[in-house]
Amino acid sequence: MYGLDAISAHNGWQLAALGISIVFTGLIILSLAISQIHKVLELWDRRYTYYQRIRKLVQRKHRSEATVSDPVLPKNVKESARQFKLLIEQMGEPFPLPKLLDFSKKCGLLHSHSSINDLLQAKLIIPDGKGYFFWNHEVEKNIKVSMKERSKI
Amino acid sequence: MVNLLIEFLSNTGFALAGYQNIVMILVGMVLIYLGIAKGYEPLLLIPIGFGILMGNIPVIRDFGLGIYEKGSFLNYMYYGVMHGIYPPLIFLGVGALTDFSTMLARPSLMLLGAAAQVGIFATFLGALALGFAPNEAASIGIIGGADGPTAIFLTAVLAPRLIGPIAIAAYSYMALVPVIQPPIMRLLTTRKERLIRMEESREVSKKEKLIFPIVGFLLCCFIAPGALPLLGMLFFGNLLKESIVAERLARAARSSIIDTVTILLGIAVGASTQGDVFLTSKSIGIFILGASAFAVATASGVIFAKFMNLFLRQKINPLIGAAGVSAVPNSARVVQIVGQKEDPSNFLLMHAMAPNISGVIGSAIAAGILWSFLGG
Repeated sequence: MYGLDAISAHNGWQLAALGISIVFTGLIILSLAISQIHKVLELWDRRYTYYQRIRKLVQRKHRSEATVSDPVLPKNVKESARQFKLLIEQMGEPFPLPKLLDFSKKCGLLHSHSSINDLLQAKLIIPDGKGYFFWNHEVEKNIKVSMKERSKI
Repeated sequence: MVNLLIEFLSNTGFALAGYQNIVMILVGMVLIYLGIAKGYEPLLLIPIGFGILMGNIPVIRDFGLGIYEKGSFLNYMYYGVMHGIYPPLIFLGVGALTDFSTMLARPSLMLLGAAAQVGIFATFLGALALGFAPNEAASIGIIGGADGPTAIFLTAVLAPRLIGPIAIAAYSYMALVPVIQPPIMRLLTTRKERLIRMEESREVSKKEKLIFPIVGFLLCCFIAPGALPLLGMLFFGNLLKESIVAERLARAARSSIIDTVTILLGIAVGASTQGDVFLTSKSIGIFILGASAFAVATASGVIFAKFMNLFLRQKINPLIGAAGVSAVPNSARVVQIVGQKEDPSNFLLMHAMAPNISGVIGSAIAAGILWSFLGG
């Protein structure tokens, strides 16, 4: 058998069309994949920068979630909050609690354990979910605002 | 005494030679001439040419000398051809020699390598139309891939009887790339197109080059598992090269291994062209179809480059489409020469390497596909 009949009899048209389509598909997929390699590598090389950015975003989220409306603090806690805030500013954030405890003892603050406990309960010190803590500026602001409002009344 | 002398004389090549042997010996001499005097692929044509001389010395049958006689020296060499051992080893060396950076820098040029494979499938249809069986047609079509090892690899599994003519056709046309391609390239492009300058490629990082062989291997072989022996060795060779820590292995692959295998392959393929096996009407058909496969592959690459230009803001020089046939690096060199004839300061070689290398991958995928379609 010869000519077009031979091609049709052996499914030549289908084989050729499918064959060239697969070759094109294969090389298109490969070209797409390799065109992304340098982008993926760039992401990988900057992973620490991206990690820090994400971490900051998460921290902001935690802070806003931890906002307490109109908190009322006992007078002694307000005082220790002021002292501990200064200590934390010196230590840097985020910080481990044992370090804060140790630091406060060295600085001669009294009843460090119970003070830190009060600050934790008042959510002035909040966890970041990874074993570290940070100072909750939102709560602190709310406390200041509510104090001003009360003094006006 | 006289009887002994007559018996000896009747066993000599002079007495046993037929006209086919003489014709093939002349063909072998032409190939050796082309290799040495013209410098056309000498590393391939000289071993093949001498192999033809070896294969066409007439010997007494069942004397354990002929290439098709089990246990003969030539038959052991031929074993590597028949069982597809040599082509993957050559691909190992090619992988260890090849720098994929140009392709990684501009992956869109890989499409030109795919377009040139149209030659394979068009010739497959042509061979079917001329009355070849589908497995033979596929083996003839793969000549259009312009890749000798791939052609031998596929023919060994689909149509082993045609290995001789197909290998000779594939390697001869690969050697004749500087003669076959330029007229087609000029015919299909305008002067303005040939003058197009390509934008400089971005720099490719070491990590990219290192990741590519693994990603490329996994993707290609998941798509066409039939290409595993060829592409596996190609990408492995390239991984050895790019890893640096395995430099010794890479050096062996790109020098001693590929050289040894080229000698074995060339001699075995050449010797398989015994006159009575080679000089048939089928061989003539194979040579005609092989030439048309090359021409169609070159034309499809160039035309596809022009087609791509319809959508690209930064135009590509359509000449580089001709490098989509995988004769590495010959067809890329031809692109450079044709381009520089129009503008001596236009350097297209590195840009042409991208479709050239993707053509190697494309033809290996095509071979894998044809094997999976017709090998069962």
